[in-house]
Amino acid sequence: MKTLYFEEVEEGDELPPIDLLLTKDFVRTYARTAGMDFPRFTDDAGARQEGLPGMIAPGVLSMGLLARLIGEWNQAAQITRIGTTFRSPVLPDCHIHLLGFVTQKDIERHAVECDIWMENHEGERWVIGTATVVLPTRNP
Amino acid sequence: MALEFDRSILGQVFDETDFPPVEKADLLRFAAALGETNPLYTDEEAATNGPYGGLVAAPTYVTRLRPKKMAPEHMPRFGKVGFDGGRDVEIFSPVRPGDRLKMVSTIHDIYEKTGRSGSMYFIVLRNEITNQDGQKIAVVDHRIMQR
Repeated sequence: MKTLYFEEVEEGDELPPIDLLLTKDFVRTYARTAGMDFPRFTDDAGARQEGLPGMIAPGVLSMGLLARLIGEWNQAAQITRIGTTFRSPVLPDCHIHLLGFVTQKDIERHAVECDIWMENHEGERWVIGTATVVLPTRNP
Repeated sequence: MALEFDRSILGQVFDETDFPPVEKADLLRFAAALGETNPLYTDEEAATNGPYGGLVAAPTYVTRLRPKKMAPEHMPRFGKVGFDGGRDVEIFSPVRPGDRLKMVSTIHDIYEKTGRSGSMYFIVLRNEITNQDGQKIAVVDHRIMQR
């Protein structure tokens, strides 16, 4: 398991970015798995009837992907808080980038604060957030 | 001027939902749907040697729990259109296979923000999740934006 200890992490460290093509099938599968089988998340025509330009990704899918960003950086990381703001509808069949960095270290709790966000290929931040992550320590 | 609404609705429980036992297959499906690669969420055998001693749910699994009643009957309306403004999740303990989860839902907060495009109103629905032992699992705040 890929483990980074608290002592090995510095403020300003970037989380390895994840780039992915967010396909409609990926969004549909998530929506159905998460009990969100609604037209706005599964079907272009149904979404247009709701006044949307086409089907969109559930906000909590974006949040889940940002949690995955942290977990792929450090598989031993324990997310104790994650907060996200959905600034813009996420339209599938597009390339998205998940990015983040460590903003603060808390020596008492062996925790770090991270800024995390999802942006499109033009650098527009569709989803922004922060997370508190407890890390294993070599000095328990 | 302060936003006007009946403040007695804040903190009132509008739903309590008991969920069937969490199935291992459901945790694995959820992790797969996110493309998770962390063995703590995807590989039962590897997870046994991990910090939780077994498979646990991916961190945002708790956001897939839906109350029977999504909103209170008399939820205030401040605008014509509602949007999903965001989520804040505090996680106290991981969800494990076999857990029987209970969720209690309240209106936690209502507030107004003024931006360049005018006033926006936020209603925060709070879902508090516990397990069969009464152990606190997570608190999920759902921000609904109206304008």
